[in-house]
Amino acid sequence: MSNKDHNSEPHAEHISSYREHFGTWVGLILLTMMTVFISVFGADLRTLSVATALLIASVKALVVGYYFMHLKYDPAIYRIMMGIVMALFTVFLVMVIFDYLTRN
Amino acid sequence: MNHTFTLPNSGHNYDAKASKLGMWLFLYTELLLFGGLFLVYMVYRSLNEEAFLLASFNLDVWMGTFNTVVLLTSSMTVAMSITALQLGDAKKSIMLLWLTIAAALIFLVVKYFEWGAKFEHGLFPGMDHFNTLPPGERLYFYLYFFMTGLHGLHVIVGGIFIGVVIHKIKNKSVNKNRYQLLENSGLYWHLVDLIWIYLFPLFYLIH
Repeated sequence: MSNKDHNSEPHAEHISSYREHFGTWVGLILLTMMTVFISVFGADLRTLSVATALLIASVKALVVGYYFMHLKYDPAIYRIMMGIVMALFTVFLVMVIFDYLTRN
Repeated sequence: MNHTFTLPNSGHNYDAKASKLGMWLFLYTELLLFGGLFLVYMVYRSLNEEAFLLASFNLDVWMGTFNTVVLLTSSMTVAMSITALQLGDAKKSIMLLWLTIAAALIFLVVKYFEWGAKFEHGLFPGMDHFNTLPPGERLYFYLYFFMTGLHGLHVIVGGIFIGVVIHKIKNKSVNKNRYQLLENSGLYWHLVDLIWIYLFPLFYLIH
C-alpha cells in the first residue's frame, strides 16, 4: 500500500548542507560587523545610520528566515502566510503613524 | 464476524506537516507580539529622540555585539543539528544541540552582567537614580527592561525546549524519520535570534 510508504518516509524534503549553514553564518556575521561599524564610527550620520541599521537588520532577518528557517525550500504557504503577517503589521504601523501625525 | 479495519495512520498520530504549520502559526503570533512592542518603541522614540540617545549611552555596545554573535552562532548549530539528524547522525545532532544550549547560557550570563550593572547604577524602574531621570530616559529604560526581559524569557524557554528534544533524541522518539519536534525547536530558536536582530540596533546602536 502506498500508505505504508508514506508513513515510513514522512519527510521527503530538501536537506541543507553543513556548508550552506556555515556560509549563512559568515554572511550574518559580516552584516553584524557592518552595522556595528557604521554605528560606532559613523556617528555624525545620525538619521542615516538608523535607517541603515534597520535595513541591515531586515536583510539579516530575511537571511535567517530563508536559510536557517528553511523558508526558501519549504512550500509556498509559509512564505505567503509570512507575507500576510508582514502586511498586517504594516497596516498597524501606518495606522499608528497617521494617528501620531494628526494629533495636536 | 471479524471486522478488521485500519485507519490511515493507526498507531502513530504523527503528522509532520500539521505539526510544522502549527508551530509557524504560533511564531506568527509571536512576531505580532513583539511587533506591537516595536511600535510602542517607535512612537516614544520619535517623541523623545534626544533622551533615547542619551539613555542608550548607558548600554555597552560590545556586550551587545558579543551577544549578537553568540545568538547567530547558536542559530547555526541548531540548524546543523537538524541536518545531522536528517543524515542519521543522532550523536552529532545531540552534540550540536548542547552547543546551542551552551550559547543560550552564555547569552544569559552576559545579560545578567548587563542588567546587574544597571541595577548598581539604580537604573531599574523604581530605583532612586531612575526616579531622578527625565521622562524620556525613563521611557527608554522601561522599554529596555521589558523588551530584553521578554526576549530573555524566550531564550530560557527555547533552551528548555531544546533540552526536551535532546532527551527525546536519546530515547529515540525523535529520530531520522520523525524529526519534526527538533525542527520546531529550531524554528523557535531562530525566532529568538530574529527578535534580537532588531533589538540590538534599536537599543544599542543609536549613536
